[in-house]
Amino acid sequence: MNQFQYVRPTKPQAAIDAVAKDANAKFIAGGTNLVDLMKRGVMTPQKLVDINRLPLAKIERQGNTLRLGALALNSAVANDAQVRERHPLLSLALNAGASPQLRNMATVGGNMLQRTRCTYFYDLSMPCNKRQPGTGCGALEGINRMHAIFGFSDKCIAVHPSDMSVALVALDATVLVSGPKGNRQLAFADFHRLPGDTPERDSNLEPGELITAVDVPDSPFTKHVHYQKVRERASYAFALLSVAAALDLDGNTIKAARLAMGGVAHKPWRLTAAEQVLVGKPATEDTFRQAATVAMQGAKAFKHNAYKLRLAPNTIVQALKTAAAV
Amino acid sequence: MKTLDKQIGAPMNRVDGHQKVTGAAKYSAEYELPGMSYGVLVGSTIAKGRIAHIDTKAAVGAPGVLAVITHLNSPQVPGFKPTGKDPSQPQTVGGPLKIFHDDKVRFNDQPIALVVADTFERARYAARLVMAHYTQETHQTNMAAGAKDAFLPTSAQKNPKSPMADYQRGQADAYKTAALKIEQEYVIPTEMHHPMEMQAITAHWEAPDRLTIYDKTQGTIGTRRDFAKEWNLPEANVQVIATFVGGAFGNALHSWPHESAAIIGAKVVGRPVKLMLTREQMFTQVGYRPYTWQKVGMSATADGKITAITHESIGQTSTYEEFTESTLAQTRMMYQSPNLTTRYRIAALDVGTPIWMRGPGEATGAFALESAMDEMAYLLKLDPLEFRLRNYTDQDPEKNRPWSTKFLKECYRAGAERIGWTKRKLEPGALRDGDWLVGYGMGVGTFGAHRGAAHVSAQLLPNGTVVLQCATTDIGPGTGTAMTQIAADTLGLPPEKIRFELGNSGFPQSGSQGGSSTVNTVGQAVQDACMALKDKLRELAAAGAPAFASAKKEDVALANGYLTLGSNAATRVPYADLLKQPGAALVNVESKPTGNDGQLYSMYSFSVHFAEVRVHALTGEVRVSKLVSCADAGTIINQKTAANQMKGGAVGGIGMALMEHAIIDDRYGRYVTKDFADYHVPVHADAPAVEVYFVNQPDLHVNALGTKGIGEIATIGVAPAIANAIFNATGKRVRELPITPDKLV
Amino acid sequence: MNSEPDVPANHDENRRTFLKQSSLLTALALVPGPVVSAAAAKLDERVADAFEKIPLSLKVNGVKHKLSVEPRATLLDLLREQLHLTGTKKGCDYGQCGACTVHVDGQRVNACLSFAVMHDGQEITTIEGLADGDKLHPMQEAFVKHDGFQCGYCTPGQIMSAVACVREGHAGSEGEIREYMSGNICRCGAYANIVAAIQDVKQGGQKV
Repeated sequence: MNQFQYVRPTKPQAAIDAVAKDANAKFIAGGTNLVDLMKRGVMTPQKLVDINRLPLAKIERQGNTLRLGALALNSAVANDAQVRERHPLLSLALNAGASPQLRNMATVGGNMLQRTRCTYFYDLSMPCNKRQPGTGCGALEGINRMHAIFGFSDKCIAVHPSDMSVALVALDATVLVSGPKGNRQLAFADFHRLPGDTPERDSNLEPGELITAVDVPDSPFTKHVHYQKVRERASYAFALLSVAAALDLDGNTIKAARLAMGGVAHKPWRLTAAEQVLVGKPATEDTFRQAATVAMQGAKAFKHNAYKLRLAPNTIVQALKTAAAV
Repeated sequence: MKTLDKQIGAPMNRVDGHQKVTGAAKYSAEYELPGMSYGVLVGSTIAKGRIAHIDTKAAVGAPGVLAVITHLNSPQVPGFKPTGKDPSQPQTVGGPLKIFHDDKVRFNDQPIALVVADTFERARYAARLVMAHYTQETHQTNMAAGAKDAFLPTSAQKNPKSPMADYQRGQADAYKTAALKIEQEYVIPTEMHHPMEMQAITAHWEAPDRLTIYDKTQGTIGTRRDFAKEWNLPEANVQVIATFVGGAFGNALHSWPHESAAIIGAKVVGRPVKLMLTREQMFTQVGYRPYTWQKVGMSATADGKITAITHESIGQTSTYEEFTESTLAQTRMMYQSPNLTTRYRIAALDVGTPIWMRGPGEATGAFALESAMDEMAYLLKLDPLEFRLRNYTDQDPEKNRPWSTKFLKECYRAGAERIGWTKRKLEPGALRDGDWLVGYGMGVGTFGAHRGAAHVSAQLLPNGTVVLQCATTDIGPGTGTAMTQIAADTLGLPPEKIRFELGNSGFPQSGSQGGSSTVNTVGQAVQDACMALKDKLRELAAAGAPAFASAKKEDVALANGYLTLGSNAATRVPYADLLKQPGAALVNVESKPTGNDGQLYSMYSFSVHFAEVRVHALTGEVRVSKLVSCADAGTIINQKTAANQMKGGAVGGIGMALMEHAIIDDRYGRYVTKDFADYHVPVHADAPAVEVYFVNQPDLHVNALGTKGIGEIATIGVAPAIANAIFNATGKRVRELPITPDKLV
Repeated sequence: MNSEPDVPANHDENRRTFLKQSSLLTALALVPGPVVSAAAAKLDERVADAFEKIPLSLKVNGVKHKLSVEPRATLLDLLREQLHLTGTKKGCDYGQCGACTVHVDGQRVNACLSFAVMHDGQEITTIEGLADGDKLHPMQEAFVKHDGFQCGYCTPGQIMSAVACVREGHAGSEGEIREYMSGNICRCGAYANIVAAIQDVKQGGQKV
């Protein structure tokens, strides 16, 4: 790991300035992904701006939304009474990720910004357009059992590894950002990017921009929710794929629905069309299967991940069944 | 007078437990030495070819760097000189790769440079600055392609009686012409040992001709021999210390390039060098369970008698060492089949050398054999336990001689009862618990009850403590604890008065900890040493203790820490009092098998594992909800540590069955599984309650203690038990491990 | 003061110069080419040593330490290599095994995934600081009693995690313990015994 300059501001503006004026500077919060990537030489920032002492860790209600400070720890959010009461889906998704130790380190902002776990991205000797644009995509013709079935490009077929983000995209969250040009807000669904021709960019953050909070609006999805994560072992593993499902039921009739998938695309994958299928229908396995079929439209597999075409609709059905308790 | 409790069999707490729970136990990268420096290895990024150019200038100039060693500047290692053998012939297993010896790259991530610096951070940084350019050659890392050139191992070519040679009884491939038969192929992928302690060594030249290494090894004596030879030193000048070993599971049974590298590095910089591999390097540089293809053909009569088995296997090895293992051994002796054929081959690929991984070849072979048994039973519409009972062997059908002991039927009975085998339905998919399909399966394991030679010394100290020493190691089973129990019982002393010291090549010699042989071998040597020490004490008593002035040696009794004389209760002398007179209470004995029991009997440990699994009907996730492991392992020295070892072996079997696979991208000949995020091993949430049952009947043909060994049979047979249970739950027969959700959905 | 008001000390021009060189070096290192700038070789080692390190105050197991460390030193490597507290283990170095679990201000974390300097002013508890003098912590006692280990290498991490698991209130059932201990891998597979040890402590009701 290269030597780097280390600074620890206590005011957000100072942190933003420090990163904005230096193209080789990075924010560090929990460090659970950045330190890992630095050890392997995948990321080589020359300056780290430690933002852990910024006052951005609060979880508080602001009108009709719950504001999660960007530095709120994953464990703090998952265990927060308001989160559990109003947004249990978020709590479930967080607790499905990583380990208790990592959740005690990882922050809301850092979780969103974690990089792909694609093995070609991690290995400096392999081609990877995300790590080193122009070198090619190792996964395209390689071992791609963990890779995308939606929204990929011929430059990159990696998936976003976050569980938390799958819940947040389903819950229509908003990302609050501060940057050199001031503050702005992004819909969570617009925060992460598809790879296109620029897979090196994971998100729509501009240089120097700092996530300050994520707003989660109140919703009726306080009861019939489930986060179904399928992995190769029972815990502490990245998803083969995952489904966040939330239903608002009137008796057995679906009044409103939210569906999103993880582990299938370069960003948390909201399934809006499938949600439409569910609304107004009875909460039955049959309905769920119809939604799953719609959800899979446009999916395409590679050599080693064809199983996702079978696993994804099944997991959608299972998530909805569990959410609806049918 | 209080009689001491019997220790053998008791669930005694570990003697080193306190050190392990307080962080005081020191592993090989945890010794403080003055002037310590840090080594980091640079690996090749091609699988085959030559190093055309290696630029170390930037690394050499980086802060804190003491040396950068490559094949261009490495000192002459005497043992690396050509041996005069035909270099085109691969050497047989045992010799480590000659590191930094030539420009040849034999596998991807082969170490090509060592950076030594004054801190770990600086060494790691400088290692990134080493730039290599290669003349690449076409590599072959794909087993399907490599298997076309598979060959009979050299050992079997030279010796037709080798266990690796083709085996035949009755008619060859007789199953092919039978009416009721199966023929299936099975694949075990490359699996990695991945002990929690990554391979580490601290190398220290205490003088130009005197080397001490703190090393992760399963055999201090073998490691000492390897490095004494490499540096052309008398063995006495090399000391290997491995007091604590953070797991190994076989991967410390071989000397590896990083060990040579650290020793070279310490020589060059004139300071101790500490080197710990990275998790990535654990995939490439310290062995693995080889990818193995197998085919089983089996035929049976309608009433469930096996008439023929053919079991073939091709295992992976490297181009520079021939690795072999006993993949087919279990098939030759487990079931009563009049016609039986085995053929073992290996395929040399451009990869690092494999090394035995827990259960070794037998675990690989058992996956195929025990899966095939399940398939055959299903074809016959027979309960698989009943099918095995109908083909039970009361004597060894391979060697035609009696078993020393075999209580496998007792294991079957106990296991079936504990798992609730009667709940099992013959037809798959018949049991369901909500969204989960429930199934039951079984798998049998066996492993030779091996006993070798070991030396143990025993000395009575003035404070009444007896210190025993042996060079053996403890990679986790609790060797020191078991030895303490054996010594306590033999000497008639409480365990607190025993100190068993191990893990140092300066102690009396023993073999490596492997092949489930330590208690069989060292345990017996401990007992023998304690008997000899008692004899010595009697001698001392008879020779000079005033209380025994008129006694003959034979009349002196030793028990409960005291010497007594016949019925005279007044004559009662603590052992330690004998040290007040001249003469040392020290013995050093060698213990090894005597007599011809080894020729008269076939000696094996046996196990059976019963699994209850749940398979999610929609997602294909598998949960092992219950495991019952039953073992006929002879005398159990410590119920607590032995049961722990069985449970651990079962967890290893869960990994093998459900999640472990190391994958190479053949285009680059390079692993894409690089750490625990993509090479999964079981976590807490994967581990069910494991019920353990020991028959606990001594096998006195193996040794006087009656032990047979546990470590391997704890794992052998677990993976097929789970695979068979998955078939029973789902009707899906997965013949390529691991059984991940993608294969079931 | 500029926009970095809380920068640790030693942040002067010489340091900047060094870091500039260091940046160049790294940039070049990532360019696979036959020549890495000879400038790299010109670095004066003594200068580098003086300017690479920054001060750090830590309380470890109740003992205050005033240290000078490279920012790139992880908490794990600092504990093991500089403070010689080797009870905290390196099992993967990537936050994937839990062998390095320690408590920072009472919370369990992976020491391998954070830089030591990020913990300035915080309180670290390692396995060496868990017992009360010679008296083992109840969790340590329970691990011995239930044989919650084999090789012992993951054990300190398991115990630190187990203590936190009980304190957090995540030891309510066998299933909950398994889930909340899944960040600690034991390759020997002593899981069932570890869970038994935790249940014993939990049910014993001792203060942990």
